[in-house]
Amino acid sequence: MGIKTVQRPQKSLKHSLYISALYGGLKTTIKKFTQNISDIDSIPTINYPEQQPSDITSRYRGVHRLTKRADDTISCVACFMCATACPSKCIFIEATQRTDGVDEKMPRTFTIDMLECVFCGYCVEACPCDAIRMDSGIFTLIAKQREDFLYDKEKLLSIKGAFGNEVSNAK
Amino acid sequence: MSIFLTLIPFVLALLFSLAIVPVLVWMERRIAGLIQDRLGPNRCNVGGIRLGGLIQSIADVVKLFFKEEIHPHFIKNRFYYLVAPSLSFIAAFLSFMVIPFGDNYNYDGLNFTLQALDVDLGILWFLGFAGLGVYGIILAGWASSSKFGILGSLRAASQVISYEVAMSLAILSFVISYGSIDFRVMVQAQSETFLWVLPSWGVVMQPVATLILIVTAFAETNRAPFDAAEGESEIVAGYHTEYGAMKFGLFFVAEYMAMAASSALMVTILFGGYNLPYIDSKFMGEHLAFMAMFFVLMSSFFTFVLIRWIKKNNTYSSVSKKESKIYYVLLLGFLGFIALGFTYLVVFQLSSLAIALMQVMTFLLKFIAILFFFIWVRWTFPRFRYDQTQKLGWNLLLPLSIANVLVTAIVVVGAN
Repeated sequence: MGIKTVQRPQKSLKHSLYISALYGGLKTTIKKFTQNISDIDSIPTINYPEQQPSDITSRYRGVHRLTKRADDTISCVACFMCATACPSKCIFIEATQRTDGVDEKMPRTFTIDMLECVFCGYCVEACPCDAIRMDSGIFTLIAKQREDFLYDKEKLLSIKGAFGNEVSNAK
Repeated sequence: MSIFLTLIPFVLALLFSLAIVPVLVWMERRIAGLIQDRLGPNRCNVGGIRLGGLIQSIADVVKLFFKEEIHPHFIKNRFYYLVAPSLSFIAAFLSFMVIPFGDNYNYDGLNFTLQALDVDLGILWFLGFAGLGVYGIILAGWASSSKFGILGSLRAASQVISYEVAMSLAILSFVISYGSIDFRVMVQAQSETFLWVLPSWGVVMQPVATLILIVTAFAETNRAPFDAAEGESEIVAGYHTEYGAMKFGLFFVAEYMAMAASSALMVTILFGGYNLPYIDSKFMGEHLAFMAMFFVLMSSFFTFVLIRWIKKNNTYSSVSKKESKIYYVLLLGFLGFIALGFTYLVVFQLSSLAIALMQVMTFLLKFIAILFFFIWVRWTFPRFRYDQTQKLGWNLLLPLSIANVLVTAIVVVGAN
């Protein structure tokens, strides 16, 4: 053990004169340039606001939403798993007794502060009821004042999933 | 008319040094974009006319002009802080002024030179002012009392000592082989032939000195791969960290003007200046109609290629069809203007004016090609560390240039 000596490749004259490496680099970039200038449409970028991206998959972590069960009741049972898993502590839940008779608990308020959220997806992984998801496909989050970035329960329930599969998969 | 003709060289010098800066910024951005598989700025427009994104750099210039001037409170020496950007700017501007854009022309018995400053110091003037530009950078970093600034100017200083000797020696070997320091004489020397078939351009006669000169010209203009003084990945923005608004703008413009000046120097001493290969002003005068026809044909070829390119590639949106039509009219109008101008000059036997026009066109074409090369290199190579620059300068370029000067001197003395 001890110090491990890494053999560096011997520098030849060709290497230290730089010429062949410079030529190779210049060739690569000019090839790209001529290829792109002769056919502008081959450039893979899109004209963004007019042309929306088409490569957003169901695994993309967009804006959160709360799901409902098949009988149109909220699937969240206010277990606080998501708020515990959240690294930026931006989920605020107040629990209350369930009135619809489906389960025991439900959230009275469920607020996500989108300005604090880092979109890590831990809440989605922590949720035992498949109640919170990030499959809305929304990647632009815009509001005119700070208060509007606090997404409450009604707002989160109103966001639709972008990839079908609306109903919660739990139970 | 004679006042107008006297003003032409100044107007051309201003056009090629100052007015080309927005065009260069545009070229830089679009070429960078195309090299990196993206488009670059293409939205800014005036009434739907985008000029391929050129409007963006005009908007940037307007923004820099009207921005608030902020002086950081910790700057102790306000005078040096303010004088540094102007120093860079003035040095870059003045170094351009001795470049000849064409041969002398006469009208009505009066003789005019196509050179803004009609001095025969040529290369000495250029080297003097180009070297002065770095002092602006060093002063800026020192005067802005900031660690990033001082690091940037230290790097600039270390770079100066590593390339300037090699550059001077490379230019010296050109001076030896042309036998003059006057740019005009150098250009005339390059219109002859070398080894019976090759044009006696600097690039053919002095390949080693050409390489050294190109490398050191990049170092002298502080452009990639020798932009360690700016080093935005390590030291924020280097010497201009504490500068804002038009004070930064002056540095920005000075960098591009230094690039333009270096390109003009390269055109003049490496690529035959304002002359086409094998052809000098005398030959042009003897075959005036033929040469004018050749230039008009070349212009129509370029216009045709450009129109075809626009037709194929201007598919940005539904309005770009209308925009393309305006470009076609502008291009064809410009072509007609050139053709009419040449016809007028040839028919009325104003041969020296026609020759000057052709030479300015040749110069412009070579000039733009070298500027393209500058931009191409910037978006290809990573930055040299400042000790690598020194190693390159002292260990490789300096011995090579000394050997080259010796060989050149021996060959020139032996040949005479």
